[in-house]
Amino acid sequence: MLRQIFIVSALNFKSLKGRFWQSMVIVVGLGATIGVLLSMMSMTVGLRAAYDRVGDPGRAIVVSKGAESEGSSSVTRAMAPIIMDAPGVAKDVDGKPLADRQLNIGVPVLRLNGTKGYTTMRGFGPKGVALRPEFHMLKGRMFQAGKRELVVGVGAQTMFQNVKIGDQVILPDGGWPIVGVYQTGDILDGQLVGDTETMLTAFHRSAYNSILVRLASHDTLDAFRRALTTNPALSVTVERHSDWYKKISGQATTLLAVLAYVVGFVMAIGALFGCLNTMYAAISTRGREIATLRALGYGAFPVAMSVVLEAVALAVAGALAGAAIAWLMNDGRQGIWGVNIFHLSVPPSMIGLGVGWAIVVALLGGLLPSIRAARRPVVEALRAT
Amino acid sequence: MKYLPLVWAAIMRKPARAILTLLSVMVAFTLFGLTIGLNATFVKFSEMARADRIWTQQRFGGGGPSGGGMPRALVEQIGRIPGVSQVAGMGFVGGYHGDPKNRVFIWMVDDKLGKVFNEWEITPQQWDKVRANRRGLLISKIQAGRWHLKPGDNFTMTAPGLKKADGTNSWTFQVLEVTNEISFATDGFMMGNYDFYDKSRPLADQSRMVQMFIQTSNPDQSAALAQRIDATYASSATPLQSTTEKAALDVSNNGLDFITVDREIALAGMFMVLFLTANGIAQAVRERFAEFATLKTIGFSDWGVIGLVFAEAALPCILGAILGVGLAGLIAAMVPRVGQGIGGFPMPTVTGGVVLWAMLCAAIVALISSALPALRLKRMDIATALSGR
Repeated sequence: MLRQIFIVSALNFKSLKGRFWQSMVIVVGLGATIGVLLSMMSMTVGLRAAYDRVGDPGRAIVVSKGAESEGSSSVTRAMAPIIMDAPGVAKDVDGKPLADRQLNIGVPVLRLNGTKGYTTMRGFGPKGVALRPEFHMLKGRMFQAGKRELVVGVGAQTMFQNVKIGDQVILPDGGWPIVGVYQTGDILDGQLVGDTETMLTAFHRSAYNSILVRLASHDTLDAFRRALTTNPALSVTVERHSDWYKKISGQATTLLAVLAYVVGFVMAIGALFGCLNTMYAAISTRGREIATLRALGYGAFPVAMSVVLEAVALAVAGALAGAAIAWLMNDGRQGIWGVNIFHLSVPPSMIGLGVGWAIVVALLGGLLPSIRAARRPVVEALRAT
Repeated sequence: MKYLPLVWAAIMRKPARAILTLLSVMVAFTLFGLTIGLNATFVKFSEMARADRIWTQQRFGGGGPSGGGMPRALVEQIGRIPGVSQVAGMGFVGGYHGDPKNRVFIWMVDDKLGKVFNEWEITPQQWDKVRANRRGLLISKIQAGRWHLKPGDNFTMTAPGLKKADGTNSWTFQVLEVTNEISFATDGFMMGNYDFYDKSRPLADQSRMVQMFIQTSNPDQSAALAQRIDATYASSATPLQSTTEKAALDVSNNGLDFITVDREIALAGMFMVLFLTANGIAQAVRERFAEFATLKTIGFSDWGVIGLVFAEAALPCILGAILGVGLAGLIAAMVPRVGQGIGGFPMPTVTGGVVLWAMLCAAIVALISSALPALRLKRMDIATALSGR
C-alpha cells in the first residue's frame, strides 16, 4: 500500500511541471495567506516578547489595589518603606532591601515622521539599576541622583526626534538634558529614565506609581504578598513582575492578534476555494493517467492519497514562501504601538503555525477532489478525451 | 449584451469550476471591502474632524488613579484667550458593569460640550434633560443595544480607581434618552452630567477635569493657538498638551500605519485572485481552442473573440467583487450589533469609492488574466486549431 502511494505520488510530482501555472494557484494562494498572517502576527509576537522580557519572574511589583497600569496606580511616601521592608524581599550587599520606588509619567514626544506621540518617562530610585541586571549604558553616562538629568533608551532614539545626548526634554520646571543612552532589550528601550525624587519635585507630585522589589527567592512571593495584603495600612495589589506584564501585554496584543487571525482566516477560505479548483482541474487533466493506474491494479486509496499529498506539498511550498517573505519584510524591524517600541518578530513557532494552517487548507481542499479521483469508473475515465 | 448568453454558456460548461472561482474571488473582495473600507472610515474621520476645534489634556500623564486632572478654572481662563470662542470640559468615569469584563466608559460633560460639538445629532432638549437630572445619562444606540437599556432604566457601574466622597466606587445613573451615534465614537458613547461627577468626588479631588475641547474663532489659526495655549501653561502646575482635532483623530497617531497595512492586505488578496482567474481563463481557452476557431470561421473578428474571452474572465471577477464588497458591508453593519463589538475598533465603511476601486481592480484582474489567452487567439492558425491539435 505504502509503496503504491509512493509510486503514484512520485508520478504526480513528475507531471507537476506540465501543470506548473495551475499548481501555482495553490502556491500563490497559500503564500499570500500565510505571508499576510505572519506579517500581521509579527507585531503581536514582537510586542509580547518585549513585554515578556521585561517581566523578570524573580521580581515583584506592588501597585495600588486593582490598578490596571502603573500610570493609574499610586503608592504614597508613607506606604513605600513598609512595602520595601516587608519579608520576602532580597537584600543588597549594603544590607538595604533590593527594592525601588518607581515613577511612570507619560511625556509627549515628536516621532521622526513628525507626528505627535507619547512615551513613558520612568523614575528610578537608588536601587533602580541594581534591580535590573538587563539595564546597561551604551553611551554617555548614567544620570546623577538629585540632578535634573535623563537617560534615553536606544529604541527611543531611533523613533523620536530630539532625544540625542545633549538634547533637552522640556518638563514643568524647565529643560532636562539627556546625558546617556541605555539598553535593556525590552520595552524600557523606548522610554526615558531619570531620578525618582527629582522628578517627583518637578511634577509637584506626592506619591510614587509603584514599588519594584527583587524577591529573596522565587518562592517568597506568597509570603511577601501576605505581609502586604494583611497590613491594614496598605491597600495594594502584589504581582510577580512577569505576570504583571503578561496581563498588560494581553490587553495590548489581543486586538492585534484577533485582527491577524480574522484576516488570515478569510484569506485561507479564499485559498481553499482556489485549492479545490486546482485539484479538481488536476484530476480532470490526469483522468486518463489515473484510470490507467487503476486498470493496472493500483488501489483507490493510494490514488486518493496521492491527490491529497500533492495538494499538501504545494500548500506547504506556498506557506514556506509566504513565511520567507513575511520574515524578510518584518523580522527584526522596529515597530511602535501606542507608547511601546519593540521589534517585529517572525519566530520558527509562527512559521510552524503558518505551515500547519496551510496543511489544514490543503487537506480540506484535496479531500473532495481525491474522493472523486478514486471513485471515477475506470472505463469511463479511459474513454474520456 | 447580445453575446451574454454565449459567455454565460461558456462559463457554465464547468459549473464546479465557475462556482469555486466565484467564491474565491468573492472572499478576496470581502477582504478588499473590509480593508479598503476601513481606510475609507479613516478618511471619513479626518474629513469630519473640524479645523476649528482643539483637544487639550494634561501634558504629563499617569498621576495616579484620578489622573491628577486639570483645574476646572482653566475653562474660564482659556475662554478669555483671544481667538477662543468656547471651551467645554469633561471628566470620565471608567470601570465595569457587573463583571470586570464588561468595560464601561462614561463621559461626564458640562453644558458647553453640545455647543462646541454643534454638529452632533443631539438636540438641545436632550442636553437640557442631562442638565436637569444630575444622574442622567444620554446613551447612543450601540450602547443601548449592548446593555439592553431604554429610557428610565437605572445603570450601575463600578469605577475601581475613582472613589466617591462616600467612600464607595459604585456609580449609578439613569438613562434619559437614546440618541444617534456621533462621528468619532466608534463604539457608541454614554454621557453623564459633569456636576454629578464633580460633586460626588472627595472634596480634595473636586473642581478637576480630564479633557477640554476648545472652539476657535479662526480655523486657520487653530494650530498656532494650540501652541500658544501650551506655551502659556508650560511652567504652571498643570502643563497642557493641545492638538488640533485633525491631528487628534489621525489614525497614524498610535504609531502603526494602518492605511498602508490595509492596502497591502488587499493587494495580497488581489494577487491571489489574479493567479486564480488567469489560470482559469487560460485553461478554458486551451480546452475550447477549437471552438474559438469555429467562431472565427463563422465570421467573428479577432477582437470579437478576444472580447468574449475578456467577458468570460470579467464576469466572475465583477460578480465576485459585487458580492464580496456587499458581504463586507453586511459584516461591517452586523458586527457592532453583536455583543461587545471589538473594543471600539472602527468599522469599515463601504463607500461608493470603495465599490469603484473594487470594480476597477476586478476589471484590471480580468484584463491581465485574459491578455495571454487573447494573444494566443489572435495568433491562432484556424486550420490547425480546427483540427483539434
